[in-house]
Amino acid sequence: MATAWPDKDDHELLTLIRDGGSQAFAQLVERHTERFYRLAFRYLQSRAAAEDVVQDAFLKLWENPALWQPERNSKFTTWFYRVVVNLCLDRRKRKTAVALDEEIEFKDDRPAADEMLIQAQEQKILEREIAALPERQRTALNLCFDEGLSNQEAAEIMGVNLKALQSLIMRAKTTLKERMKAFL
Amino acid sequence: MTINDPGDEKLDRLLRMRRVEAVSGDLAQRIILRARETQQNPSLSLWQSVRELCLEFHLPKPAYVLASALVFGLVIGFSTPNASVINNNDSAADASVQSVFSTDEALL
Repeated sequence: MATAWPDKDDHELLTLIRDGGSQAFAQLVERHTERFYRLAFRYLQSRAAAEDVVQDAFLKLWENPALWQPERNSKFTTWFYRVVVNLCLDRRKRKTAVALDEEIEFKDDRPAADEMLIQAQEQKILEREIAALPERQRTALNLCFDEGLSNQEAAEIMGVNLKALQSLIMRAKTTLKERMKAFL
Repeated sequence: MTINDPGDEKLDRLLRMRRVEAVSGDLAQRIILRARETQQNPSLSLWQSVRELCLEFHLPKPAYVLASALVFGLVIGFSTPNASVINNNDSAADASVQSVFSTDEALL
């Protein structure tokens, strides 16, 4: 589907979507799919699941464009981050077992590959420890370390003030440091 | 916790390096196609519907005043006492007045 109106902002596109504007919807989807996918992936650690969540979120918006109320939600992305986070949390609640427990197989003996495998293992353990954090600490971490999202925006998305957000991040990092002592 | 703690720095670095599997190239197109097959549901809240209605008919301010007066009138109308209660009260009052008159007549 060709996208028109690259110059229109999100608010203008949403007004068109409320009038059934499929081109405007296409524009909005193409503009934001990747950013919301990244966030969903950080929660779910699965490409298929993250893509499903992003698709569900956009289809909900398409079916009920009145869900976004400009007078209540100042910025579309702030509101939509919240929608995606909630869908991710719902999905995580339904799926109890997170596929992070498998061990990495060290098959490659080359020295250059060692470094990569160690990094991969560190990342895997980090993901496991992040998944074990309390929900709000995990959300704070996921939002703040997502590219292009300021602490202020993350606080707005979570509906807390800046100090509360910083406190959540601090507690999350303290826990992670404690649990990952051997790797830091 | 100090800023220069190497553990902090490494943790920050790890957090920034978190791996994200690349998104499918056609995800956006898939969503757009699914949306094409899906009907929009323009359900609005009551307040939104009223606002949409007003916007649709380009109602001037006096129309809002008139509508408010009508609503106010309805509320007042429904809040007045029931007509049957009023009638009962009236007949009771008439009876007491008649009894006074008959007492006066007896005196005469």
